Amino acid sequence: MNRFYRIPRQWLVLLLCWTALGVYAQEEVKLAPVTRTYAITNVNIIQGPGRKVDMGTVIIRNGIIQNVGKNLTIPADAVVIKADSMYVYAGFIDGYSRVGVIKPKEEPNRERPKDPGNPEPAQAGITPQNDVRTSLNPAEKSVEDLRALGFTTAQVVPYGGMLPGSAAIIQLGGASSNDMVLSGNSSFYSELTPAQRVYPNTVIGVMSKYRELYRQAAQAKSYENMYASNRAGLERPVSDKILEAFYPVIDKRVPVLFKAERNLDINRITLLQKDLGFNVVLGDVKEGWDMVNKIKAANAKVFLSLDLPEAVKEEKRDEKKEESKKPVDAEKEALEKRKAEAIAQYTAQASVFQKTGITFGFSTASAKTKDIPANLRRMIAAGLTEDQALAALTTTPAQLLGIADRVGTVDNGKIANLVITDKSYFNEKSKVRYVFVDGVMYKYEVKEEKKTDAKNGNGKKADPNGKWSYTTETPQGNSTGVIKIKNDGGTYSGTITNSMSGQETELSSIVVEGNSMTFTFGFNAGGSTMNIDVSLTIDGNDFEGTMSVGNFGSFPMKGSKDPNQ
Amino acid sequence: MKRILIAFTVFTSVSLVQAQVDRGNVLIKGGTVLTVTKGTLENTDVLVRDGKISQIGKGIAAPSGFRVIDAAGMFVMPGIIDAHSHAGIDAINEATAPVTAEVFTGDAVNPFQVGLYRALAGGVTSIHAMHGSANAIGGECETLKLRYGVKDPEAMKMEGAPRTIKFALGENPTRVHGSGNGIVPRTRMGVEFVIREAFSQGKAYMEAWDAYNKAKVQKGFRGTPPAYNKRLETMADILRGNIIIHCHSYRADEIYMLLNVCKDFGIKRLVFQHVNEGFKVAPELAAYGAGASVFSDWWAYKFEVYYSTAYNAAILTRNGVTTSINSDDGELMRHLYHEAGKTQKYGQLTDDEALALITINPAKQLGIDGRVGSIEVGKEADITIFKNHPLSVYTIPMITIVDGVVRFDREKDADDQRIYVDPKQTIDVTLHTSSGHDHESCMQGAVYETAKLFGFNLLEK
Repeated sequence: MNRFYRIPRQWLVLLLCWTALGVYAQEEVKLAPVTRTYAITNVNIIQGPGRKVDMGTVIIRNGIIQNVGKNLTIPADAVVIKADSMYVYAGFIDGYSRVGVIKPKEEPNRERPKDPGNPEPAQAGITPQNDVRTSLNPAEKSVEDLRALGFTTAQVVPYGGMLPGSAAIIQLGGASSNDMVLSGNSSFYSELTPAQRVYPNTVIGVMSKYRELYRQAAQAKSYENMYASNRAGLERPVSDKILEAFYPVIDKRVPVLFKAERNLDINRITLLQKDLGFNVVLGDVKEGWDMVNKIKAANAKVFLSLDLPEAVKEEKRDEKKEESKKPVDAEKEALEKRKAEAIAQYTAQASVFQKTGITFGFSTASAKTKDIPANLRRMIAAGLTEDQALAALTTTPAQLLGIADRVGTVDNGKIANLVITDKSYFNEKSKVRYVFVDGVMYKYEVKEEKKTDAKNGNGKKADPNGKWSYTTETPQGNSTGVIKIKNDGGTYSGTITNSMSGQETELSSIVVEGNSMTFTFGFNAGGSTMNIDVSLTIDGNDFEGTMSVGNFGSFPMKGSKDPNQ
Repeated sequence: MKRILIAFTVFTSVSLVQAQVDRGNVLIKGGTVLTVTKGTLENTDVLVRDGKISQIGKGIAAPSGFRVIDAAGMFVMPGIIDAHSHAGIDAINEATAPVTAEVFTGDAVNPFQVGLYRALAGGVTSIHAMHGSANAIGGECETLKLRYGVKDPEAMKMEGAPRTIKFALGENPTRVHGSGNGIVPRTRMGVEFVIREAFSQGKAYMEAWDAYNKAKVQKGFRGTPPAYNKRLETMADILRGNIIIHCHSYRADEIYMLLNVCKDFGIKRLVFQHVNEGFKVAPELAAYGAGASVFSDWWAYKFEVYYSTAYNAAILTRNGVTTSINSDDGELMRHLYHEAGKTQKYGQLTDDEALALITINPAKQLGIDGRVGSIEVGKEADITIFKNHPLSVYTIPMITIVDGVVRFDREKDADDQRIYVDPKQTIDVTLHTSSGHDHESCMQGAVYETAKLFGFNLLEK
């Protein structure tokens, strides 16, 4: 008691304030759960790849898996989830994405840079001192979306250019950004992405700058060490937060995580790795099957992309057409055959890696969330086993990220990251019913599938009329602008503007069907006119789609209606 | 101190791991062998063992397992070398600064471009994949061997070829940086200043490092090393004679200017590219030992290229300048033999002189003449077989061999020679993407086109 009276008066005031705040806040904040103990009963427990307990029980307490097995005593304070004949897996781990990371607002800068050869580091995409932990938000929709598929953990990276900053491993839950973080500084994130309009504006510029910064950092670090051992008579080292960010990489305490989608990216990254000697992780690999020897030589860790090129739709054979086959059809058929073979290579990548003995996890960086389960099934159909797929979603990424002691399996003492599905996860009809992140339950109601008008998607006719701002993601970086559409009695007209040039271009062949809209716009390519084709799906005030130029590639495009109109 | 020394040794040491290169065994029987350097040999066999020419003579028996090519009635010549190309690389111009000596096109090799196969079909076996001409001092270039079909970009590089770097004079750098960004150089004087300044800085950098390296081995030395700078490192390497300059140029005055600059800085290895007014300074080029790589008859695409003549190659050759004919273009690259043939109409060059323009001479300019560029025992078996004489308008390249491996065979030329196929391509679209004969590939990547604004890079695919 005596101690109590020794608390200074000003502290008491503070204490009172807190209490008052607490009472006030209770009306707004969600109530804490009555219990943090759960018992999932009568469930098929897939503890890890190849480790199954039929009809067992999983007990969770205070965010930790307390017990797994058969005939367990259910604690009195437990919420019982009767998961009869359902399946429980360890929560999935995404090796590389931007889930839960707040996208910085892009400020369109139309001014031509004054001296493009000497930009500020941030303009050049050089911000390795940034930390993704400063831009996390558990309320980002991407967290909810990915979690609904059974993902509970992800390595996330900041937005930026060639050196966006350091990555972190996060839990896909929690109330604050601090709650989310499982471990910070998990890797030094890098891309071969050039800066826009300033140096380094090409991949050769990026690679050169990368080498220069790395070597400067190594030099600065050596000098700092020498200076620290005996400072007398030496110039003091200059502090440089950009170079200092490289130190953990040079010490090999932190690996470099590189965005490595294309086969040529992989080659370029391994060139840098060979020159500089850092530990490397290849993220979102899409075309790696011919690069396995290089990946092995670089001793690289790998996260394969969960994005796949769209499968070729089976066309109904038109017999009449078969008969009157023109030479051009044969040529087209041959091209289509090669395209189908190419798609098959992408789909088979995971099984090729498995066969060559390269361990890999998966990454969702560029995958459309809704396609992920289907893409996993396509990979399995192309030769990956279900256990191998599960390993790449759970145990392998846990090892690659150095968190296997905490997550990746359904075992006593691990963090209660779980996903519960009504059928085996890889079954086409399987639905996620519960996800646990840090022992917090997220429940998913299974809705009756609505019958929808196949043509019009959700059946609602879209209204393209108005002013839309859009963003496209391209190898040259993001591009933004405005699309204006005018509906004149069912006839549409419009323009598109790119914020870099500000110049308006007329749209042609605007077709609106249900909630889909397509149009094209032309540009001059060395004397001849070519078209950029745009195909969009409108959902209320948002659209998503692609922009393409023939076979020169297509880029995802997103946009939303300007509310101020 | 030791740590710094070790760190820098690691930085500068060349990687010893080299890409796997296929080397073939083949016997080419009974052709007319145009050796270029050792005359023409009728009805002669060429034996290739492990990718190298091991024997030239008559009646050579094929060792077992060797592919035999019947070249009776055909012409066997060294593979064509294009000393000026931008094919096989994904990035050409780092056009953001007047000096970008630190960048390297070898970082962006793309072995999947189908244009490389088309070049093989025109008898080309090696190309100089250059940085563009937007900057006074562009980047280092890569010499590629057209081993089309390999999937490892490193296997396209001609291992051990000397380092080269792109310089550019005149309208391109003054337009991009002067008119475009309002910085030096805006004039030809400015270009000279930019180059001299870069050399001076490189020299100071080299001297600072030499002094530092000398001092630090002294006992008890404590001091600050000069700051590492990749751009100046490359400039210093030019001054040390480790890199051959290939300079985009047209006018005689600016060509003469760069000769003087190089003389002042003690630089000897120098080749001029395009050199349309080279005929005016041919004796000066010959006296300096500088090479010239020209077009046969391509000019007037901008103001500085009006004063030109189809006799350029012949005049340069007869003045003793090591001269080559290049393409700078994916289409022209496929018929460099025709381009060489034009020097017989305009200048009456001999067959060997004309063929040298596309074989041994570009090899000399790239510093690879000890290995390729002629048919001689011991050289690498980069060989092209033609139906009809290669300088005839009726000639047809039939087979192209790189390192003894047949990389193009007209008899087996399939419709679709792509290595990778874009899984997202739309097939029913016909595209004409050539921007014509307008000399733009040198400036690729330097301008913002509409397509580029929206993120499409049509020229690079």
